[in-house]
Amino acid sequence: MEMDRRTFLLSASGSLAAVAVLPELGFATPAPRLADPIELAVIGAGRHGRALLDELQKIEAFKIVAVCDTDPARLGGAQRRAAGAEGFATHKELLDKAKSVKAVIIATPTHLHKDIALDCISAGKHVFCEAPIAHTIEDAKAIAKAAAKASTLFQSGLYARSNPVYKLARSFFRSDSVRDLITLRAQNFKKQTWRYPGSEATKEKDANWRLDPAVSIGLAGELGTHQFDVFNYYLGKYPEAIWGTGSIRVLNDGREVADTIHCDVHYPDKAILTYAATLCNSYDGRYEVLYGSNAAIKLAWTHGWMFKESDAPTQGWEVYANRQQFHNDEGITLIADATKLASQGKLKDGVGLPYTPQYYALVDFAASIADSKPAASTADDGAKATIMGILANQAVVGKKDVRITEDLLKI
Amino acid sequence: MIVRLATDAMRTRFEFALCGEHEAALRAAGEAALAEIEAAEQRLSAFMPGSLVSLINREAHARPISLDADTFDLLSLAERVWRITRGAFDITIGPLMRAWGFRDQPVDAAALARAEWGFSHVQLDPIARTIAFTRSGVSIDLGAIGKGHALDLAGRVLREAGVTRGLLHAGTSSVLALGTPIGEPGWRVAVAVGREGEASPVVTLSTGAALGVSAPRGRTTTHEGRVIGHILDPRTGTPTIAANTAAAIISCVPDAAAAADAWSTALLVLGEHPLEAPDELTSMLDDGPGRSPRWRRQANTLNATTPPFATAGAH
Repeated sequence: MEMDRRTFLLSASGSLAAVAVLPELGFATPAPRLADPIELAVIGAGRHGRALLDELQKIEAFKIVAVCDTDPARLGGAQRRAAGAEGFATHKELLDKAKSVKAVIIATPTHLHKDIALDCISAGKHVFCEAPIAHTIEDAKAIAKAAAKASTLFQSGLYARSNPVYKLARSFFRSDSVRDLITLRAQNFKKQTWRYPGSEATKEKDANWRLDPAVSIGLAGELGTHQFDVFNYYLGKYPEAIWGTGSIRVLNDGREVADTIHCDVHYPDKAILTYAATLCNSYDGRYEVLYGSNAAIKLAWTHGWMFKESDAPTQGWEVYANRQQFHNDEGITLIADATKLASQGKLKDGVGLPYTPQYYALVDFAASIADSKPAASTADDGAKATIMGILANQAVVGKKDVRITEDLLKI
Repeated sequence: MIVRLATDAMRTRFEFALCGEHEAALRAAGEAALAEIEAAEQRLSAFMPGSLVSLINREAHARPISLDADTFDLLSLAERVWRITRGAFDITIGPLMRAWGFRDQPVDAAALARAEWGFSHVQLDPIARTIAFTRSGVSIDLGAIGKGHALDLAGRVLREAGVTRGLLHAGTSSVLALGTPIGEPGWRVAVAVGREGEASPVVTLSTGAALGVSAPRGRTTTHEGRVIGHILDPRTGTPTIAANTAAAIISCVPDAAAAADAWSTALLVLGEHPLEAPDELTSMLDDGPGRSPRWRRQANTLNATTPPFATAGAH
């Protein structure tokens, strides 16, 4: 068999390659093996709650003992996914009766998070709360304040902070691989109506809270919160101002919430994030890009690449790295555990995360509880990212500039 | 009004045609059903290392793996068909599929010699809702029934959302009917048996009925200069019969589309309708050019002269 250059170098100078990529190892938290699994409840069994139940099924450290949803059909669907789990219609009933529960996952509509989160914190439960953690700045701060006072863990569902690809790429970014930061870009494109079917028990209006301007924080809040946090996480800074605009381009079905938005997010040092989100087109999906004078890093949920400038210095680890062609550009694949994958012959084109980003966040949650260590993404992180999302939505709705003062982000 | 939706999942294209009065409601229900299909792929794909099936294949020889009810029901169906057909349908032939070159790899004679398979090594515990393997080296591959299962799940979501009429298919080889078209006895679907110059048989699917079509030509590879179809006989470990045959099952049992998928594969391997198969199954076995398809049960549902609504191919 002909040995390609990458394989040859890996075999001939394995120690060199290994040293170069050692930082890639360990970006995925190993799932803890516990003698007694953590008894867990999932509150909210809509599409997202059920997706989390699918991931939880693979994590031995958790035992799902209760699920909760106000809609009997959704509750039944959740119980079909969690063998032996008891079903509850309300979180208060769950907290009252399921005393063995040690940890809860809150996956309800965003505007319902606060009361549930505060009740769970005060009942002494470890809490994993989906992001955005609230639909108002006041609620986000109330949750963060309660979490700060509690002796139990609170993890915000900001998935980038647990994602091995994002953690690995961040290590490159923080070690100056891109050199001088030039600009930032992100998008979230997915063709979908954002409309959910109602049921006998759940009226269509309740099912479609995302389209209710009274409680919805729009695309900027629901999608942008996660992506703005990527830049907060990488830069270690929060923006100073957000400009936004939005409109209904296609989904003219009586809704008021924009189906397409644009934002300019101004960070300190004059770096500007250009952000767009739409429900009318799927091209290129979701990604975040950080452009520097030596390289650009593109992150796409389960995949990451570095695009180097021709005049940027070559680093040792690049010799054996996997590359993908994108029209005129060549991206170096950023994947955690590349050494292991290479040794197994699995470092091939398009290689990405083996598990979903939700899986890694849930493993982090289990590990933080088991080892009494800080959450991968804290209540403070969650509140600040949420406030950014809320302010971005205000900018979009008002088609205006919104200043982000220190007071607004102070918890 | 008919609303069409589609997604790419399980290495094929799923498509719905949903009928009703309110476009927004139909589209919302359809998107929820597509999301269910995508979630099923995340659980069942043998190609995704993070899937539930991959976890089962890695660890079920060492410990029982807890399953969600839908996956457990699917595996129970696979066990039933394996038992009734005395092994002619078997979801543990993944190592064989890989060795014969049907999983993105060339034919591997050494792997073929050491391949382990057999559903007798699989233990399903309905009380604990777990799966375990009795030996290492065993694995499951739901490629033969996963698409039908995903259609069944999508159909459930659509019915719960109040959609009463529609036709769903996965890559044209698995089809599920919701209700019937207004004023019609059912959805007319042509079964493409692939013969030049001959009209395709047309079947009528009424409420809750599903159609599964299997043919070796659906996916092929070459070995020692000959074309091999992807339907393997689990009893011998070798590719099954001539490459120009096809089998179709119309199923009206619960989990109709998954059952139709499983039985159409089994029918092709067996070469005849098994006497012990459920009464609600209609089968068609095509033996190739010059010979009429053999039908069993409910032949009155056939109408070969009416133009089809859609055409079913083979997986």
